[in-house]
Amino acid sequence: MTLTREQLRKAFLTPAWLVTALLFLAPIGIVLYYSLLTRGPYGGQAPPLTFENYTRFLDPLYGEILLKSFLIAAETTVVCLLLGFPLAWFLARAGSRRSLYLQLVMLPFWTSFLIRTYAWVFLLRDTGLFNTVLLGFGLINEPLPLLYNHVAVLTGLVYCSLPLAVLPIYATLERLDYSLVEAAADLGATTSQTFLHVIIPLSAPGLRAAAFLVFIPSLGTYLTSDLLGGGSTILIGNLVQNQFTTARDWPFGAAASLILMAIVLLGLILLLRRDEDLL
Amino acid sequence: MTRRTFFLSLSGLAGCTSGKRPRLNVINYSDYIGPTTIADFEKEFNVEVRYSSVIEGSEEVIAKTISGNSGWDVVFPENRLVEPMRSMGLLQPLDHKLLPNISQLSERFRKPVWDPNLEWNLPYLWSCCGILHQGHLNIRGWNDFFNDKLRARTTMLDEPSEVFAVCLKLLGYSINSDSEAELRKAQRLALDHKRFLRAYLNTEVRDQVAAGDVLACQLWAGSAQLTIDEAPALKFTHPSEGFSLYCDCVAILAESRRRELAHQFINYLYRPAVAASITQASRASTPARDAAELLPEASRQLSTLFPSEEILARGEWFRTASGPTQRLRDRLWTEIKAA
Amino acid sequence: MTSRWLNAYAVLAYSFLYLPLAVLGAFSFNASKFTTWEGFSLHWYRVALTDSQLLESAWNSLLIAFFSTLLSTAIGTLAAYSLWKRRSRFLSTTLSVSLVTPEIVTGISLLAAFQIVFRVFKLPLGMHTVVLAHVSFCLVYVVMVVLARLRTMDSSLEEAALDLGATPWQAFREVTLPLLGPGIASAALLAFTTSLDDYVITSLVAGVDSETLPMVIYGMARRGVNPAVNAISTIIVVGLGILILLSQKLEEQR
Repeated sequence: MTLTREQLRKAFLTPAWLVTALLFLAPIGIVLYYSLLTRGPYGGQAPPLTFENYTRFLDPLYGEILLKSFLIAAETTVVCLLLGFPLAWFLARAGSRRSLYLQLVMLPFWTSFLIRTYAWVFLLRDTGLFNTVLLGFGLINEPLPLLYNHVAVLTGLVYCSLPLAVLPIYATLERLDYSLVEAAADLGATTSQTFLHVIIPLSAPGLRAAAFLVFIPSLGTYLTSDLLGGGSTILIGNLVQNQFTTARDWPFGAAASLILMAIVLLGLILLLRRDEDLL
Repeated sequence: MTRRTFFLSLSGLAGCTSGKRPRLNVINYSDYIGPTTIADFEKEFNVEVRYSSVIEGSEEVIAKTISGNSGWDVVFPENRLVEPMRSMGLLQPLDHKLLPNISQLSERFRKPVWDPNLEWNLPYLWSCCGILHQGHLNIRGWNDFFNDKLRARTTMLDEPSEVFAVCLKLLGYSINSDSEAELRKAQRLALDHKRFLRAYLNTEVRDQVAAGDVLACQLWAGSAQLTIDEAPALKFTHPSEGFSLYCDCVAILAESRRRELAHQFINYLYRPAVAASITQASRASTPARDAAELLPEASRQLSTLFPSEEILARGEWFRTASGPTQRLRDRLWTEIKAA
Repeated sequence: MTSRWLNAYAVLAYSFLYLPLAVLGAFSFNASKFTTWEGFSLHWYRVALTDSQLLESAWNSLLIAFFSTLLSTAIGTLAAYSLWKRRSRFLSTTLSVSLVTPEIVTGISLLAAFQIVFRVFKLPLGMHTVVLAHVSFCLVYVVMVVLARLRTMDSSLEEAALDLGATPWQAFREVTLPLLGPGIASAALLAFTTSLDDYVITSLVAGVDSETLPMVIYGMARRGVNPAVNAISTIIVVGLGILILLSQKLEEQR
């Protein structure tokens, strides 16, 4: 069977199209339909069609939840960029051992997300490592409550996202033309001037990609806030999950998911320029 | 046959068992059955039981079974969820002729409010919700719990119904209140008291109390007793202001096609010896009458397993909330969490 | 930045990345359940490796990962090849959107879809639904990796083969595919680890027979700290670590 190039190309694309259409687009379409239905008396969903689930979001309560989710995602992103940039710089200037060092940075990332989050539960508890060490050295008298607060969730998110931030920054810095930096120094620029006006602009694509890769998953976080947050705050990921379990309000949960997705898509459009595609 | 279908069917086959014995799928909570109950049942009746105990709450059961094609046969919903499940068509009626051990049920559980004719479920294990605390603390009720001395070393359950129950009881209302005014007052109380809490935790608080990180926590009597077994210095208190009672029940899903086997399994759970081993392992109270006599003397003395009549008088059973009330409660709970 | 500060920072950063895992591993050998060291012991490993629920879920995880990797790598490689030849705006955009969709949204959408479909066809949730779900979210990773690899490749090699009389299919199979080998292997590894690690989506679409390892570990973790979880975590981390280092060594040798 001799297929032409065009036929071959189309045939190769078909399975992916099927998977995407049936396992991504159709399910999202179903969620859209559910978001327009009304909740049954004890759960489930049924007509009449209504926009109520979306207008419910205009309530300041949900706005507050969205805002909190934004803030923590933004904090995670900023911390990851601050911590990741020097590390990426180190990698880019590491000479022949670069590849090995990069592998070592990425290695924890390949292992389980759940396990890495659980590790922080283990570390931050009252009887966890930090408190045991601090108590042992007599620096404190009582264990510090390190777990079940905002900082714990932030630490967990940063820990899991840091390698993901380092990778694109490193990719950009590796291709950086160091002679430009030297030229700036020759022209009399101070270190901070060089940094702000030469290095940062040149690494902008990497920084943007890193911000994107960290911000988006952190916005929809669910596991980390569940294990490290102690149920004291509710983020948008928890809200959605809650609607599909305890609250049994699928239409509202569906609307909440789509609003979350819309925000994410907005971020996608804003952060990426037209000539850069993820794919 | 396309490559895709081939692989799909392979994976489907991989999921099937190759055994010829009939199979029953049971989904329950963790630490909620005797150590050998399932194995003994399998051997005696020559069947295979897939027993899952990964889930934490009843609502998860509904989420998993609401489609009507989950594959599970026997479930253990909480008493206040039996009516919603029935009205959503998720349960099938029980045939009492296949359940001779129903005579084992003690007087209190023969005509429960949530299902007076025991048409849809049988009570399985019941318990109360109270305070587990360090032995040296003198805590008689919730007023002692919400105390500055214990600040940031206490937790409450991550369950809206239980948190509201406490606040409603403190205000002197019923835990099943559906009055918006009362619920809002209870919410106000919960928000005021949030500052005393370290977190909202369910069973993960157990080893923190045992280790001494947490001084007092709201916990179910069964879980509390399991913790006390490992850390005898701890104590459990039935709050003086009143507390909630709940009962986990066993029911058969409407989608199940193994009706007879499911009934045999349920009937098996009420044999006195079996019920005794279940209550020993879970440390929750059993509604089976004769099981109590088979328990060791030490267990029969425990107030967690066998609360006295005067203690029980302070308890109140959970009831099913109506649709609008459920929505109000969810909304108020979200506000508490978001604060 | 002077080298000294940079090196010191790098040491700190690497410690930060590895400390939690190291502590987790260290305490998996602790004889006692609590965080006071009471002697070296393999007790928790014995507990973990004899727990039938853990073992069965581990097997399920591996099986699911195997099939989802197979399917997503095959479908993804072919799709990447097509996209390399000519861009398809719509498919690229849809795949990008699926990449950024939060896991919880993907999970509930698939659950809703499976429930409707299976209500009609009377089939229950199970291993197959989990595999389908995993293929759905692994696909975009495979496409990304293979496409990136293809873009560094010289398309003139294929052109040359076609000029010499090969059919498009032969050109793909004999020329491009072998050169793509390492890229496909990386993509497969990425799909495999992603599938193995997934909790959120799997927990929503799993059925009776398909409890996976993350589901069991999460259940155990939610009931409090349990050194058996430390033990199983250490096994997974070390196992995956070796697998990844090996595969990267192999790739360097090519």
